[in-house]
Amino acid sequence: MLHVFTLLLAALLTCPLIAEAQKPIKVGMPMPLSGPPALFGDPATKGAQMFVDEINAKGGVLGRKLELLTRDSKADANEAVRVARELILKENVDFLVGTLTSAEGPAVSVVAKENKIVFIAPIPKTDQLTAADKLHPYVFRVAATTTMEGRSAAEIVAKWPVTNVATMSFDYAYGQDVTRAFVDHLKKIKPSVQIVDQQWPKLGEQDYNPFINAQMAKKPEAIFSSIWGGFFVTYSKQAKALGMFDTIKYNFIGVGEAATPETTKSMGADYPVGIWGNSYDAFYWGETPAHRDYTTRLSKYLKDEYPSSWAIQGYIGMQFLAEAIKKAGSADSDKVAKALLGLTVETPVGPLTIREKDHQANRGQLYGKTVKDAKYPFAIMKPVTYVDPSRFMD
Amino acid sequence: MIRRVPWGFLVFVAALGVPALGSRFYTFLANDVVIWTLFATSLNLLVGYTGLVSFGHAAYLGVGAYATGILMKKLGVPFLFAWPAAGVFAGACALVFGFFCVRLTRIYFAMLTLAFAQIVWAICFKWNELTGGEQGMPEIPYPDFGWIERLGARLSFFEWRTAEYYYFLTVVLVAFCLWALRRIVHSPFGRMLTTIRENAERAEFIGVNVRRYELVAFVLAGAFAGLAGGLFGIFNRGVFPDFAYWTKSSEVLIMTLLGGMNTFYGPGIGALVLILLNQQIVSYTEYWPLVLGTVLVVLLFGFPGGIAGAAGALSGRLLRRTRGA
Repeated sequence: MLHVFTLLLAALLTCPLIAEAQKPIKVGMPMPLSGPPALFGDPATKGAQMFVDEINAKGGVLGRKLELLTRDSKADANEAVRVARELILKENVDFLVGTLTSAEGPAVSVVAKENKIVFIAPIPKTDQLTAADKLHPYVFRVAATTTMEGRSAAEIVAKWPVTNVATMSFDYAYGQDVTRAFVDHLKKIKPSVQIVDQQWPKLGEQDYNPFINAQMAKKPEAIFSSIWGGFFVTYSKQAKALGMFDTIKYNFIGVGEAATPETTKSMGADYPVGIWGNSYDAFYWGETPAHRDYTTRLSKYLKDEYPSSWAIQGYIGMQFLAEAIKKAGSADSDKVAKALLGLTVETPVGPLTIREKDHQANRGQLYGKTVKDAKYPFAIMKPVTYVDPSRFMD
Repeated sequence: MIRRVPWGFLVFVAALGVPALGSRFYTFLANDVVIWTLFATSLNLLVGYTGLVSFGHAAYLGVGAYATGILMKKLGVPFLFAWPAAGVFAGACALVFGFFCVRLTRIYFAMLTLAFAQIVWAICFKWNELTGGEQGMPEIPYPDFGWIERLGARLSFFEWRTAEYYYFLTVVLVAFCLWALRRIVHSPFGRMLTTIRENAERAEFIGVNVRRYELVAFVLAGAFAGLAGGLFGIFNRGVFPDFAYWTKSSEVLIMTLLGGMNTFYGPGIGALVLILLNQQIVSYTEYWPLVLGTVLVVLLFGFPGGIAGAAGALSGRLLRRTRGA
């Protein structure tokens, strides 16, 4: 008799647990889905959704399905905070993966910290996000940082036969930090370099003519730009009309992903072919079988012959989260946060590890000089090199 | 009969009861509404009571938010001093800007308020060292609720989170500000403002220094907007240049019109309706501005007195009918 009671009791106690296990694990994703930043934000959410669909088709994580809730953060820190809080308070999301600009990332990080919810930033690069004074147990980044990106660019520019260099960046965290990293590293490895001019348009600037004219008046031989996303399209079209690229003999490097396939594709013949740029991914890279397989799946998922390079950041962000949940054996943020420390994941670009010390993944980027290729109706980077950031991370 | 009901007090008690509903999201929404109520009511001192249409009221919200934010985050000043400082800084700003603004009338006044607001926004945006620029200033600390939490730990029947303590504090402070504003508009000074609104020339003829009265109203409105800003920065968990942007000015102006600028509580009703509407409609469609535009057009043509005006007219008609019967 006693046994029956114990069994019943056990059954009663586990009932809620079973019900709990059936509920989906909710992941909130604040991401810019309108305006020029949507050129990057929209595919990032699609990449995340593709990962979610794939893993759910295989039975989900710990027997629970993943559910992705995306919200338009309008590339605005204030709005990103608002939607992040709404996702937490109203939708009761278990995790946050998202944000794009370096203004949004640190702002949402604060919300994650206060609500004790794991937040994985797949795109914002500012060093401030994981700086010692801002770091907390719940924030992680699978994007490159401004230090890695600025130094990688400096290594390239140092090889050019130029001494007078100018910079063009947006006046906010990302622009300031990446430019500082670039200038500091360049001066270190090539002390003969002079920074002859620095322009700081505001984020979202539409008219670059005054900035370009002022810069060209200082006669730079090379230009470093971190104007990103759809903004690079506007900037480079105006620069081309003013003959800027010809004047500096295409000694131009555009970080902030100026050489992504979607940028070169959307600009077509207007793209200043011959400049250097970087990208998180390129469908034509095809270095490993894992990457080729990912590209094929993505191409099918997006119904796009030349799929976006931004999807991978949403994909990797979700991949880290899912692996951490598996490792923790729970969807509890405290346990998942611990599981993420030192976690290595086999991503489409190879194995990536989140460092324990600053919660930062060793995510490198592709760099290359853009050329015309007969195979594609737009410019590609050739040769394209994956720059491993490990030696630039500290 | 209706007059005897202490509506203000009832709303105050009801507002304090929101966290008891148990949803953190309701408390969050209510906190938003309470702060915007103060902001909209401060604007109504200008628009409704003095007849000055300001397109740049967000400037003072921004100044107040940055004042409290910088004092609390960078200088570690306690909330007790940092919050009133928001009113002082915003009021001082309003004094400088108002000095020029009240010299102009109507559309020129409105444009100048907008111009000054854009200057404030540009400063917040550009002065990276002080304001954090574009990325704003996240992580403004909450006021210290240590003592009340220790008390709460002993008396186990009220155990709230920091966000809820902050909500209670906001409700009490906003209620105090609204009470002060109500005293102001019903004082002889407030009556004089109404006189100026009705006929500024005539007011001048009877010996009223119109500009000085307008300037004082401008400073008071700015100071109370600053106090709302001080509360909003902490509630929003960060201060951003957006606070001073013209879109915020138009939002608060819409609230005031929607609620009804001819009544004291109208702007508060406008804040409540607009925030709830926004919350509901955004989850159905991304074309929120379309809905908002339609609502405004209907309102301006159908109910020029706003929601409060329409409700007042309706209850008046009902009263007359019952008396007549």
